[in-house]
Amino acid sequence: MSLESLIRERRTVRKFNNLPVSEALVKSLLQKSEQLCPHDGESQWRYVYVGTDEARERLSGYISEKVLESRIARLTLSKVIESYQRRFLKIPAYLIAIADTDHDPIKNEEIYGTICRILQNFQLLSWEQQLGMAWITEPIIQNELFYKRIGLKEGERFVGMLEIGYFDKSPKARARTTADRYWTDSVYQ
Amino acid sequence: MNLMDMSITSLQEQYMEMRDDLKELVLELLNHAVWAPNHRNREPWRFIYITGGEKPDFLNQKAPAHLVITMRNDSNTLKQNEDLAAVFCLIQNLTLLAWDKQLGVRVSFYEWMFDRNYCRKLGVPDKERIVAVLDLGFYSVIPEAPFKPSAALKWSFL
Repeated sequence: MSLESLIRERRTVRKFNNLPVSEALVKSLLQKSEQLCPHDGESQWRYVYVGTDEARERLSGYISEKVLESRIARLTLSKVIESYQRRFLKIPAYLIAIADTDHDPIKNEEIYGTICRILQNFQLLSWEQQLGMAWITEPIIQNELFYKRIGLKEGERFVGMLEIGYFDKSPKARARTTADRYWTDSVYQ
Repeated sequence: MNLMDMSITSLQEQYMEMRDDLKELVLELLNHAVWAPNHRNREPWRFIYITGGEKPDFLNQKAPAHLVITMRNDSNTLKQNEDLAAVFCLIQNLTLLAWDKQLGVRVSFYEWMFDRNYCRKLGVPDKERIVAVLDLGFYSVIPEAPFKPSAALKWSFL
């Protein structure tokens, strides 16, 4: 597949089949992803992997914990939460990406930018292997309680959680606006 | 070529050259790059293209052309971070596509990016911020990269 097609045809996948995902494959794709984004010095980001039944069970609990704090939610949403949890337990693998923060705004931007670019490489390289994923940033996982559960430390920020798995059907594309619509030639005087 | 077989090295500025079709090629590649994942298809990005003569002095990285990438501000921090991530995915798409065409892309950050006065000078309205400046140029020589063993991933389990 050409690079152009790979970039244009990659989709966000939310519905996975039951094929197991190999941790070794995820690691090797991530290693390649980091090589395709040259950076100086030691990496200032880390990954937390979820790929066993026990870990999935824990993660599913952490995700619903915030919602279950509310008594009203417990009473009225229990069915919804249950179906959510069933879904979380079925996802073959999760990768949580965490980055260091820095007081220097430039450095801070650079670290966040690099890990985001690495994750894009990872999405493309995985697609080449027919491995699909969704980059999740929903408020349900972006709260202090969830951060605490996954072991986010002071001086770190949550970047995203990838749900990973093989799939039977590729989702339809959503059209994109062509780049010339967002393009300006310099107006600097 | 499969992405798996591609390799990228850091480019040095002395290798970056101008060519007449640079702008045209960047636009063509950007049309592929906009297929970056972005939340709710918000397409938060915008591009300002700058070449030699029109270049302000505070843009002090040497390169034949620059592409300033901006995005809309959002008062919601979560959305802001999602959009920022999407823009970096687009930047990575462009970097990969460009490398394949012997066009080098270097991602630069400056302190003045966070200063509204400088942004205005570049024509960036107050509802937008600069994410990065891409330094662009063709390379005829691929500098030899010193062999670096791939660093171990910082990896743990939940």
